[in-house]
Amino acid sequence: MATTPYLSYRMKQPKTLFLVAIALLPLILVSCSLFGGASISGGWAGTTFRDGIIYACSRDGRVVAINSSNQSQQWDYTFTSTTIYATPIVDGDLVYVGTYSGQVCALTIDRGIERWVYPRTGSIGAIVGTPVVANETIYISSSDGRVYALDTTYGDLKWKSEPLADKLWTSPKVMGATLYVSTFDGHIYALSVETGERLAWSFEAAAGFASSPVSDGDTIFLGSFDRHLYAVKIGSDVPMWKFPKEKPAGNWFWASPIVNEGIVYAGCLDGKLYAIKAETGEKLWEFDAGDPIISSPVLVDNLLIVANEAGNVYVINPETGEGERIKNPENDDKPTINAQIKASFCAHDGLVYIRDENSKNNQLHVVDIDKGEVIWSLNLTE
Amino acid sequence: MDVWYLIIGNPVLNVLIALSHILGGSFGLAIIALTIIIRLISWPLTKRQLNSTKALQDMQPKIQELQKKYGKNQQKLQQEMMKLYKEAGVNPLGCLWPMLIQFPIWIALYQAIMRALATTPENLLDLAQRLYSWEIVSQAIPLNSHFLGLNLGSQGNLLLAIVVGGTMWVQQKMTQAPAVDPRQESTSRIMLLMMPLMFGLLCLSFPAGLGLYWAVSNIIGIIIQYFATGGWGYLKFRSPFSSTPVKGK
Repeated sequence: MATTPYLSYRMKQPKTLFLVAIALLPLILVSCSLFGGASISGGWAGTTFRDGIIYACSRDGRVVAINSSNQSQQWDYTFTSTTIYATPIVDGDLVYVGTYSGQVCALTIDRGIERWVYPRTGSIGAIVGTPVVANETIYISSSDGRVYALDTTYGDLKWKSEPLADKLWTSPKVMGATLYVSTFDGHIYALSVETGERLAWSFEAAAGFASSPVSDGDTIFLGSFDRHLYAVKIGSDVPMWKFPKEKPAGNWFWASPIVNEGIVYAGCLDGKLYAIKAETGEKLWEFDAGDPIISSPVLVDNLLIVANEAGNVYVINPETGEGERIKNPENDDKPTINAQIKASFCAHDGLVYIRDENSKNNQLHVVDIDKGEVIWSLNLTE
Repeated sequence: MDVWYLIIGNPVLNVLIALSHILGGSFGLAIIALTIIIRLISWPLTKRQLNSTKALQDMQPKIQELQKKYGKNQQKLQQEMMKLYKEAGVNPLGCLWPMLIQFPIWIALYQAIMRALATTPENLLDLAQRLYSWEIVSQAIPLNSHFLGLNLGSQGNLLLAIVVGGTMWVQQKMTQAPAVDPRQESTSRIMLLMMPLMFGLLCLSFPAGLGLYWAVSNIIGIIIQYFATGGWGYLKFRSPFSSTPVKGK
């Protein structure tokens, strides 16, 4: 009799353990999805301003044209079952949008009607980097590792490059007859804009490049996964300089820097905006925004505007590096915008157009730099 | 959530990436190396489990003796077998515990694979916040997702699912102690099939990198089991209840 409780426990144990094991399996699935996985949010396409109209993409795959003077929606176009990371670009009478499902679409700027889509059927790899338009050609880098050149009017394929990397998530840069593209495996390739063939020069770094290339004269600036910003002279095999020179920065230079009057302004995921002399790589100043800087800064009336991921927007004096946070219109303790900022933003006539990452109530915000406040916000999601 | 990443999530991610750099940029080899490391860390537990299995094997003559003696009295047979297990300090289902302990590792590895391979832009951006400032780590980014024809970040590899299910079945069969009655036999039989089947199915819906971890972990388990217990254990064992129908509940 003394063994009875032990035995009854033993008899129940197999079934209990079996049930525990079976219950754990769905738990693995749920845990993995809860604790992070292959989640795609709503993309982080930036805003574009042209002739009084703001073009923005919402997290639910809509392209929206908004009249900036009366905040009215001119038209919208919905891409189903996809998100948009690439900022829409306007050229002539068309708006070009690259989608994460791997299609490029041209919409008319007046009514948002589809003019053409490439490819006509199927898709190329996911488009993450913003395409570039030059010489009546739109250049797109794709997640299949190739650069595509399409005719802007009809969307016909002019050429596609050989695969340059496992995937291309950066934007190409067109300079004259050459297109430059940076890759995650640490290359800068030069392609002919006419044929897409690789030209003789390429640059190879020890670590991959995180950001798209920007140029000033014959120098390319871009951020690397080794936590440095690189300045590369076209034609050279060695970097002109790396910033910081000794110890790496606190994180990646994810956003493409901007260059103005010989100074490079580079936002870093360590939360700092650095001003660097383009010629020497010497640091002029740094501004601590506190949280990661994902979007590129913009210059408005000789003032630098930078936003951090937490939703704070700062106005910075480009000469001194002194800055001021734009206050939240409702609560001074909260960030300027009550949502994350990841998308690149544009500016026109003293106004900055910023899209937030609020998943429920995705909005476009307009910041008046002179007044130092958010003057209006508009819902982008339906 | 932060504690999770601090203690398990981020260390697994960074070790995996560092291993990848050390092993010539091969993320697949890094997963295999990490599997071996995890196996080494959990060795005390594995050893205990192996001792238990070995003890069960050694007890087989006594079990068969009991089955002969009390074959017609199931209740008495159960009592005597349980007594035997208790005296030997053996847990017939001890093989589950190493698996349960690996549970957090699976989640961490799943996260590490998805983030390290940066299958989406969000994953890549999120990765930036989780990397240590080791040079070896920053130089390894981004990782090559291809290994032996597998895309380690993609799902739905049927061959890998079969390998995972098959190796899990073999490993379980090697360690699963004989049932003491037809009802337990029925449960054991279902479990022996269900677990490999479930993991095979999970493998189809998870990135191949995690499937690779499971497959390698199972193969290492089989090898250890083979050498530690001196053979295939219960792999070729046929239960005396296998043809006995189970009546009622």
